[in-house]
Amino acid sequence: MARFFRPLGIIVITGWLAACGSSTPTSAVSTDVTAGALIVNPPLRIASVDAATFAAQLGASTSGAQLLQLAGTPTCGVDFYYIKYRTKGGANERTTASGAMMVPTGSASACSGGRPIVLYAHGTATDKNYNIADITNTANTEGALVAAVFAAQGYIVVAPNYAGYDDSTLSYHPYLNAQQQSGEMLDALAAARAALPNTFSSATTDGGKLFVTGYSQGGYVAMATVRALQAAGKSATASAPMSGPYALEAFTDAIFYGKVDLGATVFSPLLAESYQKAYGNIYSAPSDLFSATYATGIDTLLPSTESLEAIFSENKLPLTQLFDSTTPVTGNAALDAALAVPNDPLFSLGFGDPYLVNNDYRLSYVLDAVADPDGAVPTPSAGVPLAAEPQQPLRHAVWTNDLRNGNWAPASPTLMCGGAQDPTVFFSVNTGTMQAFWSTLPAGLLTVLDVHGTPAGPFAQLQGAFQQSQAQELAFLQTAAGGSLTQAQAEAVLVQNYHTAVAPFCTVAARGFFAAF
Amino acid sequence: MNTKITGTIGGLALLLSSVVMAEDASLKNTFRAGVYFITYHVQATDISGPMTPAGLNAKIDSNQTLYLAYVRSLTKHLDLEFAFGVPPTTKTKGKGPATLGSVPFDGVEISSAKWASPTILLNYVFFDETARFRPYIGIGVNHTAFYERRSTAGGDAVAGGPTRISLTASTGIAGTVGLSYRFNNDWHLYASYSASRVTSDLKADTAGLIRTSHLNFRPRTFVLSAGYSF
Repeated sequence: MARFFRPLGIIVITGWLAACGSSTPTSAVSTDVTAGALIVNPPLRIASVDAATFAAQLGASTSGAQLLQLAGTPTCGVDFYYIKYRTKGGANERTTASGAMMVPTGSASACSGGRPIVLYAHGTATDKNYNIADITNTANTEGALVAAVFAAQGYIVVAPNYAGYDDSTLSYHPYLNAQQQSGEMLDALAAARAALPNTFSSATTDGGKLFVTGYSQGGYVAMATVRALQAAGKSATASAPMSGPYALEAFTDAIFYGKVDLGATVFSPLLAESYQKAYGNIYSAPSDLFSATYATGIDTLLPSTESLEAIFSENKLPLTQLFDSTTPVTGNAALDAALAVPNDPLFSLGFGDPYLVNNDYRLSYVLDAVADPDGAVPTPSAGVPLAAEPQQPLRHAVWTNDLRNGNWAPASPTLMCGGAQDPTVFFSVNTGTMQAFWSTLPAGLLTVLDVHGTPAGPFAQLQGAFQQSQAQELAFLQTAAGGSLTQAQAEAVLVQNYHTAVAPFCTVAARGFFAAF
Repeated sequence: MNTKITGTIGGLALLLSSVVMAEDASLKNTFRAGVYFITYHVQATDISGPMTPAGLNAKIDSNQTLYLAYVRSLTKHLDLEFAFGVPPTTKTKGKGPATLGSVPFDGVEISSAKWASPTILLNYVFFDETARFRPYIGIGVNHTAFYERRSTAGGDAVAGGPTRISLTASTGIAGTVGLSYRFNNDWHLYASYSASRVTSDLKADTAGLIRTSHLNFRPRTFVLSAGYSF
């Protein structure tokens, strides 16, 4: 009897051993903790579209069709990769971050072989899960914009999500920390360069040209990155910082004097927490800076997995009221007048009760600005220099991170683009200040484009297109389909959306600028 | 499910012990060999995970493999069948949109895996041992483990990179109906149709991104075999 069972036993045991067999491997995970090291190699390709499919997908929505019209018909397909890399936080601590690498593909000559790299820095995001690489997310409009404008026209795009976002191990975001953010841009670039040869798109290679650009916060980061490159003995082929708060001390001074920008209640917690982590002296407790209404939990509020709408509705932040509408009284008539609620419909939105920032903190900041004024705000002086060295901790932090700092000027062609009526990142205080600061640069090195200016020069068509789009939007908002708004209401909506509306026009201008090099 | 299987096995054991004791004189051994024709009626949840479009599913092609079984006749009417086969390779194809972006998906072979899938069945055989045709029905337990799991080039393109696949092993109930044809006391022909419950949790790891699906393979097998008894 037993002999009949023996063969069966052997076969079954063989089967069980075989069942332990392995699968095909996935990407390797690097244990190298050096900043700039690529963590997962090869990286995940999130999506792959050929030129025709990308055009069709963009054309399927109204906003996509408008983008297509502005950016032009895609010449190349695009492979979207998700890269993970090592970097450092605002306090020089080791951390990880992620980002996008968009690679042009296709048979056209502009889509493979050696292609230029565009290193792109995105604008302020409050969503903790922000991932510019995730082109499957229809809310990722900035990712679609840079893909359509750059990648689909033959540029390899590298765009970090920034430390503190997506699956970064950093618990906060080093917002407008010039050293950290520029360092992270170069870390993302190094990781992308390491990843590119191992992708599905290895027919496209780094052609050696490097363009640096970004919008809003990203405009600031782009300019800081050019400075960091030059400090390291390298340079960008050209750069195009767009609508960024470059002159951060002048900009913050203007806000504390009462010219409160749209979005200030969102930017403030990000900025305070970033500098608190980096320098440790912005406050002893959040309630030193923030009013009791909002202080609890504000140090960990942003970025958040909650939507901004939810944050406002849960009363975790005020919508626009940065300062107390009962302004400080010092007995100094001129100072009291400077601190009073401005007689301006936009800036006055920044005052109210409840409010975000305590009067005491505001006053300490402004007293420092009075004692050691910025060269651009409130009264421009020759050369628009920085303050000597502020003593108030927040003002010292924005002084440190003002991009006039470092005794430098761009060594490669630079386009600064923005819109003169920007209510979020003031054009004259930032772009205008940097233009004045670099007024002695050789001709041709610095180009300034105001998309709201009188159309002239190589960007006249874009300026005309922007102004036409504003006029069309104003008219549309007053139609039944647009909500039947009054003229004043429609104008208010345009103001609210202005900063975002400028972005695609400046981005296309940047591409046109880069094409010359 | 586990409770049901445990109950089934317990019931089989009790039944076996009682009938074997009652009719020990009928003990006989049979080896069968033949062909499995396997079809899969896959029901799967959509593949889900971060950065994964909705509506991605999977289907599996039918296949064939060698059927081998050892059958122990316990009584005149009860057989204990240990069925196994040369582990077949199943090929999984994408089911859903024609393309993901511009990457072909629907109908593209995305992965393969080998199945080690032994089954034990207690069959009730009708009619007398000398009858020319003897129908039978059976119930039992199937255990399936998956190995040599491969993501194909097409699968890697869909997933976005080299992909590691894991499939949890499955233990489930199995049932069969069949018919034997008697040439003589030693040789028989068999035809049977079987169904078994095989479920598995799929995990696909592409560059650290995990996508999952729960699969109910619902295999249906038709077997043609010859058996030698002694």
